[in-house]
Amino acid sequence: MFLQAIFIVFFSLILGVIYNSISKEGITVKGNWSKKVVSDSLIVPYSYSKDDPPAISLGQAMTYFQTHNTIFLDARLEPDYKAGHIARALNLPFEEFEQYYPKVEPLLSRDKNVIIYCDGTECEASLFLARLLKTKGFENLKIFFGGWTEWNKAGLPVKKSN
Amino acid sequence: MRELIGNKWLVVLFRLIVGITFLYASLDKIAHPDQFARVVYNYKILPGFLINLFAITLPWMELFCGLFLILGLVVESSSLLISLLLISFIIALSVNFLRGIDLACGCFTTDPNAKKEGAQLLIRDFVLLLMSLQILFFNRDVLSLQKIFQKK
Repeated sequence: MFLQAIFIVFFSLILGVIYNSISKEGITVKGNWSKKVVSDSLIVPYSYSKDDPPAISLGQAMTYFQTHNTIFLDARLEPDYKAGHIARALNLPFEEFEQYYPKVEPLLSRDKNVIIYCDGTECEASLFLARLLKTKGFENLKIFFGGWTEWNKAGLPVKKSN
Repeated sequence: MRELIGNKWLVVLFRLIVGITFLYASLDKIAHPDQFARVVYNYKILPGFLINLFAITLPWMELFCGLFLILGLVVESSSLLISLLLISFIIALSVNFLRGIDLACGCFTTDPNAKKEGAQLLIRDFVLLLMSLQILFFNRDVLSLQKIFQKK
């Protein structure tokens, strides 16, 4: 029984790799899922590419926060936003974009800097939301990958809404 | 009680339920390995270099085991593998449930919906595990190709 089971695993491995190599949808066998370290203060997810809106560090996010020409966008789901978010940030959950966008769009301005964030460097909702907004014609987008985790840890202005 | 749990027709029924579930689950994963690899990544359990290999191999294991259960070939080995898979799914789900990770996006969340979905998945896997263990311990090769081969 155990020998047969090992054989099934082995056979699946071989067939999987063969099928994957001939399939159009195939992926690399050894994937790259590690985060990219841009500098000491800036880490981005593996899926971030050069064509995406610029990534900013906590320090840069703080500087933008102090200027009035900036809108912060929280890409997390509403319960997480309500539990605590960067002060003055608006909520536009990536996962429920269609539902929230009509409400949020009038509050946005294409002239202002839009800083998008989500939970932290493990989270890609901010990146995906930025890509979506780019297709909607927004140009002054920035992604703050440190997100809620870094901001909250640094003791910067936050707001809870219940 | 033991007779009821070990009923040979119950084994056949469970073989079909578990087999069809695994077969069905495997097809979409085989068709979209990139999406499945992302799901595996979101669990944040496997090291990065193993994620794609796992995402390539696992669906085929599910396909074979599911098919073997339905046809009644190497039923014990298939149900053993499926049981082991389900145990690892349950552990992986529980770990992330406790961590508070929303598996849809791989991020931390307090969203009650994510918790509810996680709980439903756990219950589903647990029920499948019970069926799979029943097959493992009580299989008597009723309505199975194995028996036809052995007779010859």
